[in-house]
Amino acid sequence: MVLLATLMSGQARAELLIRITEGADSAIPVAVVPFSTQGSTIPGDNVGDIVREDLAMSGEFKPLAPERMLSLPSRSDNVYYRDWSMLGQRYLLVGELSREGDTVKARYELLDVNREKRLLGETASAKIGGIRQLGHYISDKVYEAITGVPGAFSTRLAYVTLETQGKKRIYKLQVSDVDGKNSTVRLRSDEPILSPAWSPDGKSLAYVSFETGKPAIYIHELASGKRTKMASFPGLNSAPDWSPDGRSLLLTLSKDGNAEIYKMDIATRALTRLTNHWSIDTEPSWKGDGKGFVFTSDRSGGPQIYYKSSENADPKRLTFGSRYNARPRFGPNGKYLFYVHQSESGFNIARMNLKTGEETVLTRTDLDESPSVAPNGRMLIYATKQDGQSVLTVISADGGANYTLPASTGDVREPAWSPVIH
Amino acid sequence: MTLSILLHVLILVVALSGWSWNNSVKEPPPRSISARLVSSQPPQPEPAATPPKPDPEKEKARQQADEKQRLEEQRKAQEKAREEAARKEQEKQRKQAEAQKEKARKAEEARQKAEEAARQKAEAEAKAQAKKKAEEERQRKEAERKAAEERRKQEEAERLRKEKAAEAKRKAEEEKRREAERKLKEQQLEALAESASKQREAEQRRQAEEAAAAKARQAQMLSESEKFQALIRDRLSRAWYPPSSATSEMTAKLEITLLPTGELVSVKVVSSSGNTAFDNSALSAVRALPRFPVPEDQATFERYFRRFSIEFNPERLK
Repeated sequence: MVLLATLMSGQARAELLIRITEGADSAIPVAVVPFSTQGSTIPGDNVGDIVREDLAMSGEFKPLAPERMLSLPSRSDNVYYRDWSMLGQRYLLVGELSREGDTVKARYELLDVNREKRLLGETASAKIGGIRQLGHYISDKVYEAITGVPGAFSTRLAYVTLETQGKKRIYKLQVSDVDGKNSTVRLRSDEPILSPAWSPDGKSLAYVSFETGKPAIYIHELASGKRTKMASFPGLNSAPDWSPDGRSLLLTLSKDGNAEIYKMDIATRALTRLTNHWSIDTEPSWKGDGKGFVFTSDRSGGPQIYYKSSENADPKRLTFGSRYNARPRFGPNGKYLFYVHQSESGFNIARMNLKTGEETVLTRTDLDESPSVAPNGRMLIYATKQDGQSVLTVISADGGANYTLPASTGDVREPAWSPVIH
Repeated sequence: MTLSILLHVLILVVALSGWSWNNSVKEPPPRSISARLVSSQPPQPEPAATPPKPDPEKEKARQQADEKQRLEEQRKAQEKAREEAARKEQEKQRKQAEAQKEKARKAEEARQKAEEAARQKAEAEAKAQAKKKAEEERQRKEAERKAAEERRKQEEAERLRKEKAAEAKRKAEEEKRREAERKLKEQQLEALAESASKQREAEQRRQAEEAAAAKARQAQMLSESEKFQALIRDRLSRAWYPPSSATSEMTAKLEITLLPTGELVSVKVVSSSGNTAFDNSALSAVRALPRFPVPEDQATFERYFRRFSIEFNPERLK
């Protein structure tokens, strides 16, 4: 019997294979302990709070509220893993700040609670006024360490706000951090501002402004504030999009009769017409390879999304699922397409897997518009209506929890997520 | 060195002395000689001379000396004559003695001869007698010897016979004993064979029963194992947070070792997904379980859950 048992255990070694094909559907529990401060107090927000909010915004994390924490360590030496494990936490971020002159240093450590292992340990620094940037930087590192994808918390957002004062309407083009903080107004106008688009280097914006009473396309250098009117053709001038090499813009112009897609060389302003159809062709978006692009066309009777793999290729219709599919944007790796999709419940943001054609509705809100994808492809921002007001909402790119950016006064629309800015 | 020199010297000395011995003339061993004078008459002792009486006076002495000398010469002549007469007498006596001696010798010789003859005769007789006696003795001894021989032979024969008999008896006994032993052994073997066969049968029966039991048990273990596999799968699925970089092509294979209590002993990536965050998420999921659900049954545990592999592969991505 002993022999039998031995034989059995002998032959049974590693015979059993259990396959796990599904993960938890909820966000990853992570504890971000408020950072302690060594020495003199440091003005500004707590870095721990910034990181916690960033991670929450991604939809992939479920940060533990600080009031539920049993202890507030700021170094891994003082961490009792069991405490955090008991709280169901997977990861733990601890850190402390110190000040040297006008520089703030953040010493932080990311710990794997279950494995009782340090994943990250670093000291980062920023100028005294850049404490939020410091927080976003740490968020990026934490995000990448856990998910394997670079974070996009240090990138920026461009959007347009509308304030109504009596009969007066004030449009503002604003640029902020991804959490809506640190916003600055770049253009103020009584007339509508539309469709801001980032240059690939993140230094400039292209947009449509009606400031002259007619729509015109401008390039706006953010650092200098220098603006250049690129297109003000008769009729429609709309929906600019930068080519991945930054040398040209895709535009929608109706100067030749109806709305068509053109490519403009930024240096020479030479135009190349890319579509030619009696119906409306608009809202172009470059694919990352710089050759193909998608656009919206109602050539089939209603707005649908088409793809041209090169300037001369025949457009290929991509969407069939509903009567209305518009405003397409490629994800960064070209694998997914994000667009506005009309369903029974209204207008939602949908995602299509271009390889399989599989379409997934990502949002549960109504009257969603203007999707824009973060450069890491993991987050999506779009505009929607909340209590009759237009707000911006961030969701994870696969449709997780959403995060509504704190609304400034008035409507917020036309969000555009910046590329990674070096 | 010194020793060898000494030895050489010694050898040389020995050789030389040997040589000298060899060359010495051997003297015949001295014979002991005994001589005895045999005479029939013992010698007559000489008559003692009468010493001259000293003269009392010198003058007178000299005259007396002259006288004496003349007397001496006279005495000498008388002596001579007496000596001659004595000598003649002596010769005569000697011749008479010799004749007597011869006569005696002859008589003695005759007597001796007679004696010798008698002795020889007696001796011959004795010899004959002795011879006869010796012959008789010899014959008697021969007879005795023969008898003894005969007796010895008989005894030997008897002994041999007895020995043979004893041997035969011993052999017979041995044979008997062996036979008995053989029989006993045979019986034992038979008994053994019987018991072995019984045992074999029992063993076969037991094995069959055991096999059936094992089969049933394996089936039970399998179903038990499947139950716990499902439990583990469920727990891990809930504990696993696939990172956003995960794709359905990624698979991480982990090998885990458990204690019978379900506690994790070790976990290691045996086949990486190629994505560190993905591998980490799988490791973290495994580590997240404070205790794996495992069967209480020891054999089932050993068979399936002591060490096993888990594959993490998101078939269905969010």
